[in-house]
Amino acid sequence: MGIKFQNVTKTFGGVSVVDDLSLEINDGEFVVLLGPSGCGKTTTLRMLAGLETVTSGDIYIDGERINDVPTQHRDLAMVFQSYALYPHMTIAENIGYPLRVRKVQKAERLERVSRVAAMLEIESLLERKPRQLSGGERQRVALARAIVREPRAYLMDEPLSNLDARLRVQMRGELKRLQHQLGTTTIYVTHDQAEAMTLASRVAVMKKGRLQQFDTPMNIYNHPANRFVAEFVGSPSMNFIEGEVEAGTFVSDSLRIPLNADQLRKLSGQSRWTMGIRPEHIQVLAEPYDGAIAATVYVTELMGNETFVFLSVGANRLIARAPADFRAELESKVWLQLAIEKVHFFPQRREDAKKE
Amino acid sequence: MPKSRRFFNAPRRRSKHELLLPALFIAPALLVLLALSIYPLIYSITISLQQETASGVKWGLGNFARLVSDNFFLTAMAHTFVYAAAALTCEFLLGLGLALLLNKQIRGRGLFRASLLVPMMLPTVVVGVVWRLMLNPNFGALNGTLKQFGINTESLTWTASPRLAMLSVIAVDVWQWTPFVFLVLLAGLQAIPQEPYEAALIDGSSRWQTFWHVTLPLLKPSILIVLLLRTMDLLRVFDQIFILTEGGPGFATETISLYIYRTAFRFFDFGYAAAMSFVLLALTNVISAIYIRFLQAKEAA
Amino acid sequence: MIKNLRYVLLLPALVFALAPVYWMLTISLKTEVDQFASPPPWFVFTPTLQHYYDAFVTRAFGQYLITSAVVAVTSTACALVIGTAAAYGLARFQLPWRLNRRLSLWILSTRMFPAIVTAVPLFLMMRDVRLLNTRASLIIVYTAFNLPFVVWMMHGFFADLPRDLEEAALVDGDSRLGALVRVVLPLVAPGLAATAVFCLIVSWNEFLFALVLTQTDAAMTLPVGIAGRVTQYEIKWGVMSAAASVAIVPILVFALALQKYLVRGLSLGAVKG
Repeated sequence: MGIKFQNVTKTFGGVSVVDDLSLEINDGEFVVLLGPSGCGKTTTLRMLAGLETVTSGDIYIDGERINDVPTQHRDLAMVFQSYALYPHMTIAENIGYPLRVRKVQKAERLERVSRVAAMLEIESLLERKPRQLSGGERQRVALARAIVREPRAYLMDEPLSNLDARLRVQMRGELKRLQHQLGTTTIYVTHDQAEAMTLASRVAVMKKGRLQQFDTPMNIYNHPANRFVAEFVGSPSMNFIEGEVEAGTFVSDSLRIPLNADQLRKLSGQSRWTMGIRPEHIQVLAEPYDGAIAATVYVTELMGNETFVFLSVGANRLIARAPADFRAELESKVWLQLAIEKVHFFPQRREDAKKE
Repeated sequence: MPKSRRFFNAPRRRSKHELLLPALFIAPALLVLLALSIYPLIYSITISLQQETASGVKWGLGNFARLVSDNFFLTAMAHTFVYAAAALTCEFLLGLGLALLLNKQIRGRGLFRASLLVPMMLPTVVVGVVWRLMLNPNFGALNGTLKQFGINTESLTWTASPRLAMLSVIAVDVWQWTPFVFLVLLAGLQAIPQEPYEAALIDGSSRWQTFWHVTLPLLKPSILIVLLLRTMDLLRVFDQIFILTEGGPGFATETISLYIYRTAFRFFDFGYAAAMSFVLLALTNVISAIYIRFLQAKEAA
Repeated sequence: MIKNLRYVLLLPALVFALAPVYWMLTISLKTEVDQFASPPPWFVFTPTLQHYYDAFVTRAFGQYLITSAVVAVTSTACALVIGTAAAYGLARFQLPWRLNRRLSLWILSTRMFPAIVTAVPLFLMMRDVRLLNTRASLIIVYTAFNLPFVVWMMHGFFADLPRDLEEAALVDGDSRLGALVRVVLPLVAPGLAATAVFCLIVSWNEFLFALVLTQTDAAMTLPVGIAGRVTQYEIKWGVMSAAASVAIVPILVFALALQKYLVRGLSLGAVKG
């Protein structure tokens, strides 16, 4: 089902939590709202659910304006961060609750509950109470309760954040398969960029109530709209170097990087820029090499499958990804090769400069 | 996320319909309280301003003016303060002591706790009966038992003695309400986490230092709440004294509530009784405001 | 050593707390001869149920007992319905002008009025509407008296309940009232029961209003009945003790049922023991 936010603003006591948000979500899409805490992503979801009122602007589902439609008539399903299972009901009653309040016949209700339970492999839990279940099991029950009804859209508010790391990765995969199978529009809120990248057909990155970029995961990663998006997506985070463009070269402290004609054209008109480069686009070499940048190893972190190398280049600190067998003493000298065609440039704003 | 997120947040423009539902929920309670708490207060103000005289009802502050020169009233106020201060002190110290004694896993703790609570749960009238039976100078269990131990009880006439009556009613209050102080403080003690004690132990603090620097500060909110609730109850004390002594012998145990009762329902001087009850109300309000100030200072700190 | 010291200190406290009540129970079971025997027989005496018969069959204590029960149950039911609704409204709806907090505090403050302050005008009001010496007058007054307590306690229980659960119920398609009945109330049921028991105890024990408002056998509650005998016939120890002993029974049963919520209720929800 298509969902549309049009200039939606939400203020709490004069503070804008969501600021002039416009977003169009297509039928069957899996859209992730991504951002740090306090960015307004949960409020956006709750406005869509009708759990918060909209201060100004309009929300449409399938072209129908739903601002004034009460929650219970919006025909959406939501998975809460806390799962919000009803503690006094059995698992079967929990899953059947949305059907019960819609006065679905008991026989059909039981049939649908057991079908969904089979789908999520929780048939054996149906007679238990929520408190007897593990976190992962509760998560499945919450999903089952959302799915049983075939709603117009699924809303998920950080549904995996209360699981341990291993289970989270597993459930992430299952969620993706499930959504593919059901084909229902899903809006998913998270602060975890890895979840956003793996699950979403499109990601909406938010910061302080404002939409920063709304695009496919690959475009978000490869063509971040601004420095915030570039920094928030990717792990380890992108490196940023403040500097100036002088005579065809990007200069920052002792660092000098010659730029190609294409880049220079884009950078004309302003001299102060922030250069961004992802860790995988920095190659660390043990031997000097023509045009390579001299650096000192600050510390190395072995991850098993790769090594993160933290480097000092003059006053700048950089992180590079190196192969698993990379070895270097602390404070040893190394040389860096930057994939110059992969760097990003962001206009320097005063607040960025101040932050450094 | 804003801290005070409510179920349904208020939009800027509020339609009438949105306030209808909460109004339906809240209005009945407000109406009942307006009719039976606020209206009586207003009613009380109007009667306190009326004085019955030979030439009819006279309006004015006459009833309040009487207060200042009424020795019975001033004595009753003094009794109330003595009663409240003495009982509060004893109940607090005993209650704290008991709470500290029972704040350890010892055998029979549940039994101790449950048994200690019995006096507090009793109807105050029953407390009066119980202690009349205990304190009767001739047939009471207390004097009878003391006699068995060879103690001369001739002068120990308890509630019948002008000298001992006040002490007796205070002791009965302590008997009944120490368990309450104990219970609240015990709950407060058990809510204190273990870590500060372990840290104090590692830092080499003595038992006494730990009590003074860890236990007491962390217990302060519970202490203030229990003192507030007890003070309010002590200042308005009526039931036990009414049963035990009816304010006597003579005027020895007459507190302000008893005096108001007597004025209204024995002498039918409702105007004067109303005037006195406002003094009591003002007093309890001032004292509770002071406690609440302390409580909020604690919370802010 | 210290452990034994604890018992040395606790045992006298235990005896001090229980002995007087035990003594009253023995008096209610003793013949007049044993009641006035010297030295007082703490343990050995010939038990009799004569005083219970006298109190509840010969005298009107049976009627007082019924009045007490009717008044306590009815006023508790009224206070619970009205108070729980108000508590839910205050806990779950955002009202303008910071009314949520203001109304809650105002409601609590009415509980702080000394009883004697409202007793005088309530007596006159009840006299004006000719309700003196009726059960109705006590039911009305006790409902109002328990109401702030119910609102305050239930407000706490509603506030403790995760909001997510109601929101989930709404998203699942239930109406506001449906969510209240099917999700919220079942979950606060233990708190509701505890609050009810507290109201029952308070109404059962209440003395001053009952004394002021009811003076006839037909309308008098048990405490007023007992108090009347205390001050009039000093001699009838047995009857009085029998009545008082019966008055204790429901309280002790209730108190046992309440253990878990005792502190919270007695401190008006301020201490969540």
